[in-house]
Amino acid sequence: MNTTHIIGVFDSKMDLLAGIEKAKSNNFKIDEIYTPYPVMEAIDALERKSRFTLAAFFYGFAAVVGVLSFLYWTSVIDWPINYGGKPTNAFPSFIIITLVLTILTITILSLFTFSIRAKIYPGKKYILPDERATDDKFIVLFDKKTAGGGFEAISSALKAGGASEVYEKEL
Amino acid sequence: MYKAEVRGPLILGNKDYRQITSDIIAPIDNPTPGWWKVALAISLVMASFGIFALYYTVRYGLGTWAVNNSVAWGWEIINFVWWIGIGHAGTAFSIFLLILRQKWRTSINRAAEAMTVFAVGCAAIFPAIHMGRVWLAFYIFPYPNTRGPLWVNFNSPLFWDFIAISAYLLISASFWYFGMVPDFASIRDRAKTKAKKAIYGFLAFGWTGSTKEWLRYEGLSYVLGGIAAVLVVSVHSIVSTDFASSVIPGWHSTLFPPYFVVGAIFSGFGMVMTLMIVIRKYYHLEDYVTASHLNAIAKILVFISLIMGTAYATEVFIAWYSGNPYEMFTFFHNRITGDYSFMFWAMVICNAVIPQVMWSKKVRSNITALFIISLIINVGMWYERFNIVVTSLSKDYLPSSWATYSPTWVEIGIYIGTIGIFTAGVLFFFRFVPMIAISEVKSVLKPTEITEKH
Repeated sequence: MNTTHIIGVFDSKMDLLAGIEKAKSNNFKIDEIYTPYPVMEAIDALERKSRFTLAAFFYGFAAVVGVLSFLYWTSVIDWPINYGGKPTNAFPSFIIITLVLTILTITILSLFTFSIRAKIYPGKKYILPDERATDDKFIVLFDKKTAGGGFEAISSALKAGGASEVYEKEL
Repeated sequence: MYKAEVRGPLILGNKDYRQITSDIIAPIDNPTPGWWKVALAISLVMASFGIFALYYTVRYGLGTWAVNNSVAWGWEIINFVWWIGIGHAGTAFSIFLLILRQKWRTSINRAAEAMTVFAVGCAAIFPAIHMGRVWLAFYIFPYPNTRGPLWVNFNSPLFWDFIAISAYLLISASFWYFGMVPDFASIRDRAKTKAKKAIYGFLAFGWTGSTKEWLRYEGLSYVLGGIAAVLVVSVHSIVSTDFASSVIPGWHSTLFPPYFVVGAIFSGFGMVMTLMIVIRKYYHLEDYVTASHLNAIAKILVFISLIMGTAYATEVFIAWYSGNPYEMFTFFHNRITGDYSFMFWAMVICNAVIPQVMWSKKVRSNITALFIISLIINVGMWYERFNIVVTSLSKDYLPSSWATYSPTWVEIGIYIGTIGIFTAGVLFFFRFVPMIAISEVKSVLKPTEITEKH
């Protein structure tokens, strides 16, 4: 179901940050911010947090344990081979392959995690409030129902922050 | 307080965000230039010749190559190492400079990553075809073999190589692709035709540029960047252990891993320089790939060239200092002098001597000179691999089995074919993909403006 949104358009990062500050000081709830490049201050303003690096660490940890166990099983339990009298559990020579397979595992799982968490995948139906957001504009989006203010109030706050235009749109 | 400007502005010409998008997308929007079609036709002819040579190898076997019992590794392994080396710079650029937060990488990383993907793809052809029976290549996958049961040898550097290169190809391709997703969205949202909107819309994976997406995107970049930095070092170290773990004179050296890694980055940066000069010239992107960018690459090259020179000198010194007659023979009678002395001196002059002219600022700001030097470096690095592979194998411990080696047309054909595949790939990249990372360049626009004002 479509809902009415208020959209603030900014021309630069500095204006955007001033606009966000104004909206926050008036207790307006920002729904989302769209930018042409990553703006860390905007991400912080919406208090968004990611556990991506933590997930990657666990993938790596699981891969190290998994690969070393697998190598132990193939080399010692399933089919031990005597390479010139070397011990079957030749741990130091397992390290490189463990490192490389760990990197491979982290890569594959991180890509899937990104795709799932950021919802970025082929054929995705997306809603982009203003197409200029991927070009040269910084867009701040408010859901009219939950924003905590009417169009006039939000519009004047954003314009005081430097918004170049503010308009309403059904999304 | 006095503050020296280490680098000039990263973007010239007082651009705004919209102008950046337009400039970088222009080659995709504009009609295909005539030179592009000619270049593609030449590349495809070369690639076809290579594919025919590959077919010929598979049809008639490795007897069509000039490799023999002594020189069992010929052009195929030389070219494999050469391509892998070139492939390294893409990751080196993107990842080391990303981790070191070097903003000047933004204009160059995309092309460097594209180069990596095509170069590693070309490299992968050689070990596969070198197996002789390429249709049995799946034997190297680690699965319980119903014919055995026998596992692959997990202690073998050749097996490490297989896994490392597969991982490297995957990680560099995904790093490259996900880097392009926001730029595909920019093209999608500016597209005027339905077909273009649909194609780039599909490629953009529904990207909108929301904070949710950027947050995870940054996380992914740093995770992939961090682990790929380890991979860059480990892949070429592993390639070097293919050599170093043998007892062949000239190979059996602990110098090999760093020597290979640095050499790889050297040849890759050389190729990046070649590509960037072509891009800025033919696509008029001089405002983005500035003289300051090329100057920075040249400085890195001159530094790495010194390391290469030191490595060459170290090898010769250790051969003498060890007192090992086989090592001494290899270096003094089969490299510095002897049948292959031309290759040795070509390597030294191209890699360690000629790049030293880039100490001069005049040379570093002369684009033609930089272009020629970058090509010389790539030729020199090919000779380096020839030196390592062929000279050591041709004359080892048993004089009765000494042999010389020069390639057949089939081996030359496969090499020419990979150059064709690489250039065709790069040309398609020029035509259909933003050559410069639009969103990343936008993120460095402000510091440039500030630099200009002060």
